Amino acid sequence: MGAHLARRYITETDTEPDPAKKFEFDPTFGFPERKEREMTATQEQMNLAQVPVEQRDYCAHHLLTLMKCKRDNWPNFLACKHEKHDWDYCEHQDYVMRMKEYERERRLQLRKKRIEAKTEAEAA
Amino acid sequence: MRSGVSIPAAVNMAGVGFRKVVRALTKSKGSGFSALLSGCRAASGPAKGSLPGPFPQTPEERAAAAKKYNMRVEDYEPYPDKGEGYGDYPKLPDRSQHERDPWYKWDHPDLRRNWGEPMHWDFDMYIRNRVDTSPTVVPWSSMCKQLFGFIGFMLFMFYLGEKFPAYQPVAPKQYPFNNLHLEKGGDPEKEPEDVKNFEI
Repeated sequence: MGAHLARRYITETDTEPDPAKKFEFDPTFGFPERKEREMTATQEQMNLAQVPVEQRDYCAHHLLTLMKCKRDNWPNFLACKHEKHDWDYCEHQDYVMRMKEYERERRLQLRKKRIEAKTEAEAA
Repeated sequence: MRSGVSIPAAVNMAGVGFRKVVRALTKSKGSGFSALLSGCRAASGPAKGSLPGPFPQTPEERAAAAKKYNMRVEDYEPYPDKGEGYGDYPKLPDRSQHERDPWYKWDHPDLRRNWGEPMHWDFDMYIRNRVDTSPTVVPWSSMCKQLFGFIGFMLFMFYLGEKFPAYQPVAPKQYPFNNLHLEKGGDPEKEPEDVKNFEI
């Protein structure tokens, strides 16, 4: 059930990253420059809209426009498809980014292991 | 005959021994409270000699006790005399009324008992609304094995699930404002751990 689980528990138990623990490698490692993520919605805006804590992520500005659209168009619950799609797409991109981060960590771990094996083989 | 029965003297016509009643009323020996006491007792209880008695010591006493309880001498077995107060009451098998034949024409169908049958010491516990000693359909040992085997297996699997959790191959979700330090109730004065999130 999931190649990553087989890797984590059976085949590559030492290199497969554990999402529960903090990742070992620096986020900027390997990048010449890495742009910081921009947060569009302010804390004050989110507080006024009473956004739940779990939803106060980097897609919150889409959520705020969606909430406004919903409130303005009630009872027409089919009105906010565009805003909903924007928010969903943002969340999807965020999830894809998480997958990529996990894969990056995994490959860096494998690379580290390869380098260590190589230095050991050369030393021996 | 002396007439004029004193009013406080209760006339117990449901009493045993009518003669004794009359004699008591007419004699009225003594004064005060003893004049009120009637010389007979109520007939509403069990007859004399049919009440349980002390533990039978001799075979004759055993035979008499068995006859009293409408039992055969071979079947009669009193409770062991350990000073618990059972007396000569018979020790019947601890079987509830559920186990008796439902199709036989009992005198008392709901109690599944015939008139005059000796009653178990705990008969009120063994009625059909209460304790049921019927044998189980499946042997007790196999029931125990099935139940505890299942519970044990489930506990073991839950333990394995804790040890080796299943998760999606994604990094943890990134939150702004130093992992929402203030929103999660963090101290506004204390500087939180600086968390930088980058684009991909």
